[in-house]
Amino acid sequence: MKLIAAMASSVALLAGPAFADKIFVSNEKGNSVTVLDSDSLEVIHTITGMQRPRGITASPDGKVIYVCASDDNLVRVYDAATYEELPSLPSGPDPELFVMHPDGKKLFIANEDDNIVTVVDVETRQVLAEVPVGVEPEGMGVSPDGRIVVNTSETTNMAHLIDTESYEIVANVLVDSRPRFAEYTPDGKILFVTAEIGGTVAAIDTATNEITKTITFEVPGVLPEALQPVGLRVTADGSKAYVALGPANRVAVLDVASLEVTDYLLVGQRVWQLGFSPDGQFLYTTNGNSNDISVIDVASDEVTVSVQVGEQPWGVVAVKSD
Amino acid sequence: MIRFLAFAVLLAWPVAGQAAGPVDPDWPCVQRRQPQLSVAQLWSGPPVDAAIEARAKAPEIRRLAEVIALRRTSMNQAERLVEEFAQGATREDLTALFLATFGQIQTARDRVMAGITRYAHQQEALDSQIEDKRHRFQEMTEAEPQDFDAMDDLEEEIDWATRIFVDRQQALTYVCETPVILEQRAFALGRTIAAKLPRQP
Repeated sequence: MKLIAAMASSVALLAGPAFADKIFVSNEKGNSVTVLDSDSLEVIHTITGMQRPRGITASPDGKVIYVCASDDNLVRVYDAATYEELPSLPSGPDPELFVMHPDGKKLFIANEDDNIVTVVDVETRQVLAEVPVGVEPEGMGVSPDGRIVVNTSETTNMAHLIDTESYEIVANVLVDSRPRFAEYTPDGKILFVTAEIGGTVAAIDTATNEITKTITFEVPGVLPEALQPVGLRVTADGSKAYVALGPANRVAVLDVASLEVTDYLLVGQRVWQLGFSPDGQFLYTTNGNSNDISVIDVASDEVTVSVQVGEQPWGVVAVKSD
Repeated sequence: MIRFLAFAVLLAWPVAGQAAGPVDPDWPCVQRRQPQLSVAQLWSGPPVDAAIEARAKAPEIRRLAEVIALRRTSMNQAERLVEEFAQGATREDLTALFLATFGQIQTARDRVMAGITRYAHQQEALDSQIEDKRHRFQEMTEAEPQDFDAMDDLEEEIDWATRIFVDRQQALTYVCETPVILEQRAFALGRTIAAKLPRQP
């Protein structure tokens, strides 16, 4: 414990600026959202009163937090500064993951049970569209220019590219088994899609919608079936991507230019989703079985510390604090 | 009639609400079956080689591993014991300690996994016994003349067997958590030991 405190304070020294950011972690089994101060890495608040929170995201200005409350069948909304609950958004049944359009006005929500993507206006709280997609929609991603939203369907094994104006599917890309997450590079040229059971990440050329490379993973001594890519994030400069490998308890570091894996970092058990600090210096990982989050120093690719949160952490988002 | 319907619901095997997918008769848990843990899933320190495997068998390392692997040893206490051991210990010593601890937990986990399979088979057997008794009861109600004493006895047997089945089924939730709890402990101990590794020269 002393050691953790010592490590935490060294992290605090590195972080520098006086205004700490806040880290919000959804705890799927704990039915809560843990709020941490990014400098001290101490839990400063716990938001309760939701059932099975999974996907979590913030408005572009970082003032509002959105949570997929899967068993409440709605999106719960909180003020990031006061933690006050704001009016909820309709989400369709069993929302798992969603993505905020860069304009901050529309949420695209995957409804696992209904095979649709629900589009909700966060200001009027109206459902704008329901887009039929493949079986068990899951992962959601949005292109940097906001023109395309990607949904992955677990059973159909496809990435569906949806036009954000017409709400029509403009392309489908077949990927490996049980696609989980979709993320674009900041220049919008590559779309990464993780496949949990396939154990791979597809790098898709967005000009042609063709897979240019299927990235595989290998950790000596870890059974191949334990290498299950789930969450994925690309650094703001587009040089590196991090891939959460689930029960392998590791995050793979991917060099985007060569599409080669350069390192595997041991974080916590069943590493699920990832989120950067607002300045991009740190990457936070949710570790569902060890009930903690790990902090990765992006410059050195070192895991600096792990901090206990609620039960079965699922998603993470960090915002600037005023 | 209502009672029979209730039986039918209770006897559904495996229990309703479990994840869909192929049913493994050896594995009644909702959690995905992971037959073995591997060192690399839990350990980021030096790789394990033959020398470390030999060192892990040293009596002082084995004894310490036995103590810290036990769930009744609190994590705080385990951390203190590891810290004491780490004074003057080499990277190899600590890696050997992790390997020995891992071995202890793996053995305990193997026992639990085998137990769960046995449990599943016992439930299956009990399920078919209850089914047989119900058929017999049905036949008795249709027989002429009816033997009411025998019917009462059999009904009681069915009640008891069903109760045992349901109680066991409820306990299954906790039983199934045990391999996960052991894996969590192995990971936490691995992390504790790794934190004490002396820096590489």
